[in-house]
Amino acid sequence: MSRDESKLLYAESHEWVDLAEEDGKAVGTIGLSGFALEQLNDLVYMELPELGRELTAGEEFGEVESVKAVSPLYSPVSGKVVAVHEDLPENLEKLNDDPYEFGWIVKVEISEANSVESLLDHAAYQKQCAEAG
Amino acid sequence: MMNTRTGSGASLGPTVGRLISLATAGSAENMAIDQAILDSVTRTGVPVLRFYQWAEPTLSLGYFQGFAARATHAQSDAICCVRRTTGGGAIVHDQELTYSVTIPVPAGSAGPRSVLYQQTHASIAEALANFGVQAVPFRRTGVEPRSESRNSQFLCFQRRTAEDLIVSGYKVLGSAQRKSRTAVLQHGSLLLCTSLYAPQLPGVNDLLSTPLSVEQLVPQIVENLSANLGVDWRVGTLSSQEIRDADKIRRERFASSVWTTRR
Repeated sequence: MSRDESKLLYAESHEWVDLAEEDGKAVGTIGLSGFALEQLNDLVYMELPELGRELTAGEEFGEVESVKAVSPLYSPVSGKVVAVHEDLPENLEKLNDDPYEFGWIVKVEISEANSVESLLDHAAYQKQCAEAG
Repeated sequence: MMNTRTGSGASLGPTVGRLISLATAGSAENMAIDQAILDSVTRTGVPVLRFYQWAEPTLSLGYFQGFAARATHAQSDAICCVRRTTGGGAIVHDQELTYSVTIPVPAGSAGPRSVLYQQTHASIAEALANFGVQAVPFRRTGVEPRSESRNSQFLCFQRRTAEDLIVSGYKVLGSAQRKSRTAVLQHGSLLLCTSLYAPQLPGVNDLLSTPLSVEQLVPQIVENLSANLGVDWRVGTLSSQEIRDADKIRRERFASSVWTTRR
């Protein structure tokens, strides 16, 4: 069953975060929104971060290429990368069909709880997307 | 009225931008200057247009291309190699005019800036038209497009994407982009003549009886880019910070074999 996108949090830069508790720790699963994938149009490459890398909210953690344009991915939260979706770069064609389940990119063990405070809820993110046209 | 030629609402202006006049530099230096400009436009929001050529024939790899793929193109095997930060396929920079245009974009914009490809290429097509060269975007040639995932030729100029400029069936202009949070760098190559290191690719002058010079082309491209982007391009120079940044980026990235062979 796919994640309910209306329950996720979003960064201005279009990454979604699903917050959950795993083994007593706060973990954020991160992916790219359906809106961003539509704008990106035919992703051909994706670079993922290494397991264990420490990220700060707003920091680049990966890159994608579409239509000869390379765009960074920005981490919406601070913390350590504890899982990486290794199958994703070889199966990018599946991303548009299932951005919120198959399309997860990394899981981050959140080190600073307040790093999620600036994220948008679904309604605010929808508004941003509507304004971007 | 600005931006009437391409009919798009993506005009930046009216605004003032900086024009860095045509100059020749080394391979790593050229790429480092473009990156330093991207960093600068990300900070300042002031657009920059630059024209350049290459001190020696150079193969540039697209950001995600594997270095080992060089082996598939023997003619360019011995020339200098640099890895770009932009996407797409490999380019032999030899008999060409290279440009970069870097503009601010709204925070939160996603994906490639297709309109920048369109407006820049329209500006170059209009300049070529003044010399009797009919260049059209690939999307208007009626040829069936290839999906990007199958667009896997090693050389950029053997690939086809929607906005590539085509003259007499040959691709003569291709561009690629790199985004930051609030700016996008687009650079591209206009093939002027066939290179010894890519003999399969003709340039515009190979298709003309009277060759064009970069001195003829550049002012017209600037004028068209001014109208199409709504930017008043004023001749300037690289700032001292950009020069310092470019030198550091050159040493740490583009002149480093670790960077060039990283994939």
